[in-house]
Amino acid sequence: MGKLFSMTYPTALVLAAIRNGHRYGFDLMDATGLPDGTVYPILRRLERRGVLSGAWEDESKARAEHRPPRRYYRLTPLGESALEEVLERFPAVVRLLDTGTA
Amino acid sequence: MRYPGEGLVRVAARLVPLPRRRDWRREWEAEATWGWQRLHAEGPPGLGAQLRFRLRILSCVIDALWERKETMRMTGLMNDLRFALRSLGRNRAFAVVAVLTLALGIGANTAVFTLVDGVLLRPLPYPDSDRLVALRHQGRDGQDQLPISQGLYQFYREQASSLEEVAMYAGVSVNLVLDGEAQRLQGQAVTPSFFSVLGAEATLGRTFAESEGVPGGEEVVLLSYGFWRDSFGGDPSVLGRSLDLNGRLAQVVGVMPPEFGFPDQRAHFWLPLQVDPANAQLASFGAGGMGRFAPGSSVAGVQAELEGLLGRLPEFFPENGAVDFLEDVGLAPIVLPMKEQIVGNVRTTLWVLLGTVGLVLLIACANVANLLLVRAEGRQRELALREALGAGRSQILRWFMSESLVLTTLGGALGVGVAAFAVRSALGYVPTDIPRMAEVGVDVRVLSFTMVIALGCALFFGLFPLLRHGREDLAAELRDGAAHGATGGKSRLRLRNGLVVAQMALALVLLIGSGLMFRSFDALRSVDPGFDQEGIMIARVTVPGTEIDGWEGTDAFFRQLGERLRAVPGVEAVGYAQGTPLVSGASAYFSIESEDHPRGPDDLPVFARNNAVSPGFAEALGLRILEGRPFQDGDDALGARAIMVNRTFAEMWWPGESPIGRRLRLGYEGEDWYNIVAVVEDAHYESLESAPVEMVYWPMVQGPAESPSIARAVDVVVRTGGDPAQLVPVLRREVQALNPRIPVSNPTTMAQAFRQATARTSFTMALLGVASGTALLLGLVGIYGVISYVVSQRTREIGVRIALGASGSAVRGMVVRQGLTLASLGVAIGVAAALGLSSFMASLLYGVSATDPVTYVVLALALVGTATLASWVPAHRAARVDPSRALRAD
Repeated sequence: MGKLFSMTYPTALVLAAIRNGHRYGFDLMDATGLPDGTVYPILRRLERRGVLSGAWEDESKARAEHRPPRRYYRLTPLGESALEEVLERFPAVVRLLDTGTA
Repeated sequence: MRYPGEGLVRVAARLVPLPRRRDWRREWEAEATWGWQRLHAEGPPGLGAQLRFRLRILSCVIDALWERKETMRMTGLMNDLRFALRSLGRNRAFAVVAVLTLALGIGANTAVFTLVDGVLLRPLPYPDSDRLVALRHQGRDGQDQLPISQGLYQFYREQASSLEEVAMYAGVSVNLVLDGEAQRLQGQAVTPSFFSVLGAEATLGRTFAESEGVPGGEEVVLLSYGFWRDSFGGDPSVLGRSLDLNGRLAQVVGVMPPEFGFPDQRAHFWLPLQVDPANAQLASFGAGGMGRFAPGSSVAGVQAELEGLLGRLPEFFPENGAVDFLEDVGLAPIVLPMKEQIVGNVRTTLWVLLGTVGLVLLIACANVANLLLVRAEGRQRELALREALGAGRSQILRWFMSESLVLTTLGGALGVGVAAFAVRSALGYVPTDIPRMAEVGVDVRVLSFTMVIALGCALFFGLFPLLRHGREDLAAELRDGAAHGATGGKSRLRLRNGLVVAQMALALVLLIGSGLMFRSFDALRSVDPGFDQEGIMIARVTVPGTEIDGWEGTDAFFRQLGERLRAVPGVEAVGYAQGTPLVSGASAYFSIESEDHPRGPDDLPVFARNNAVSPGFAEALGLRILEGRPFQDGDDALGARAIMVNRTFAEMWWPGESPIGRRLRLGYEGEDWYNIVAVVEDAHYESLESAPVEMVYWPMVQGPAESPSIARAVDVVVRTGGDPAQLVPVLRREVQALNPRIPVSNPTTMAQAFRQATARTSFTMALLGVASGTALLLGLVGIYGVISYVVSQRTREIGVRIALGASGSAVRGMVVRQGLTLASLGVAIGVAAALGLSSFMASLLYGVSATDPVTYVVLALALVGTATLASWVPAHRAARVDPSRALRAD
């Protein structure tokens, strides 16, 4: 598992934030507090490795909120198990996020 | 709603490669639009918030650049691979030769590594198996190899703190009567601690309790999984059932797991080995010993402690006669890691094999590298052009690398197929005495090994042409035609010459190895075993005491069986023996007293191996009588009390004299004297390689005349004028007719036993033979290729020479000399390398020295000779160069 992608601290933060329900780019930038330029490359990389999957939201729902449809990210089963590694290696990450979003 | 920085997102999107561009832009616009909206949700945002938003939009450039880099990397790799496949496809002959060569090399390595890994590298299949040790002993400075005795087992168990647990095991065979039918089964008698030492549990029921390991304990038996499945249909209700083993009832208490077995999975059952704590013999060595050392201890620690304990034997066992005897022989413990004990001398064979195929792979790589060099030379101009047009060195490196990667991937994939096939079909031919064969198979470990060597190969010759290419002068390359370039070609040629010399050297190393093996095989085959090979059938017959009580009945049974067999047409002689050479081997050493060599207080006892044989044995086996007469009826304990000794024993104790008429007896109290009536030829009992040992042949009925005993488990040896294998059913029929509850087991022929005795050597020889043949072929192809290339390079020069009057034979000589120089250089290096490696070979050889000059010289000359032939073909072509054509060509 650990060989699949390098589990750095920012990666861990992004994974944990998605688990906590932050599911699109700008929201993840806000939730993680990472420099803006790092979040998207992390998302792209995780998506290519099959840890995340991105999908366009339903058009009608977006129209109801008067905005263009957004791309949502969620954990794949592989991502779920990657999360276990996150919890193991960066226990502080989860606590940080939990308090941050509370 | 619009957002600030919209233009930037649009521009940055152009950086994103086309396939991803639309989605990328859509995502950023959605995020930015929504983010900007939210910022205004509670009135106009402050300046700081606006600035943060703009910075965030700016980061889309980073994202776009990342996308670009990543996509380029992927497609770049794909491009390289496509390029490699295309260029290999244009050169199909080259690709096929290279892939096949690699498949052969990689396949052979994978196959042998599979063996090496399964047998040598993998830990034994027991928990914490690195703490398992074999406990053996030696006496007389290694002349006697002894296992363990019950007394020592108990002694170590009580006193050795470095050993967590000690166990004993011995092979036993029993007659099992199941549903009225007798069968002979192989199993083991083991102390209850056997299972805890190995860390094994029963899969059904339980293993033995300590109380079952002492005399008077319950009669119990454990079944192997395979036996349980085959004979009881895997029925769990077998627990508690009583089995008729050797006429006694033993209750089944458990079934072991399918993978369990020690040292292999041949045992069908386990019985408790009963040790009487009050009366355990110190000096009767009859069972294998093993132990598990305590955590924190080591093999050396156990060795040291046992040495110390043996030194204090008199302290622990005062007034025990056996202690004096053990001190006399200088008893010393041998503690070995269990794996070493099990794998034993196969180790060297397997490493030599791996080394062999490793060399073949090197030669194969050298060949492919040579082929690639030729191609690279053909492409120098193309590459120089590409370089001039801006392809960097790294780009060119990637072309070469992807080409060799494609080659080795194909070669490796094919090689794994070759290996899987080779291993499966080889398992049938591998000598049966190689341990752990059941554990061997192609698996992930083996595949990763293959991948590593394949990548190694790819690196090896992927870098090779580039090293050359990098040093070439670009301008010179563009100016000259590659095919005729006399300047740039020189250093490239030197490289190819080097490869050929290396190939020749490696091929010679392998040739010498297989030559030495062949001479060993030849020497083994010409060993005089002391008896005949052809027309002899051997099978084991065991008469349990519960079937025929007393020695008279047993003796009568064997006599009747002998009469019946002799009446069979074609049978020339019938005899019995406790041990048959090369089939069931010889006994351990016994101490013997000789009437005319009384033992002084400081003398070692007379030692010999014993065999009990019947009249007719020597005739049936063709064992030559050197002096005296063979056994006849009435020679046993109640009659003439005759014995025979072998040549080694006779020469050891009566050098230059006749031992006939002298007297021996077993070295115990109250034994009677026996008269030597014959000296027989030395027979090789254990193996053809080992030197013959002292042997005394006793009659079947031995012991004091008033209470004699008889050997009950014997080999029936039958000599026939026809096919000995045909006699097996005859023997079964005759035994059945006398007593259907007495089984016949392990039928074989002496010719078969001979084949097995030479199997290891012939197997190694065959493999080395194939390897060196391949190596020779590849080496010759290499030298042929280089000389042909040289000739094609020098066509112009040769044309000039011929035009100036050089004769055809002078040109031929010049070219052949070049081949000869390469071959001689290779031979010189090869001889040196073979001498350096000779110590590895030494232990595999028999009857020939690892530095045998004849083998070296003959093979070196043969190699030079064939190399000359290989260069003669292009030389002949050179001699026929038409000068006018050659000069006009450029």
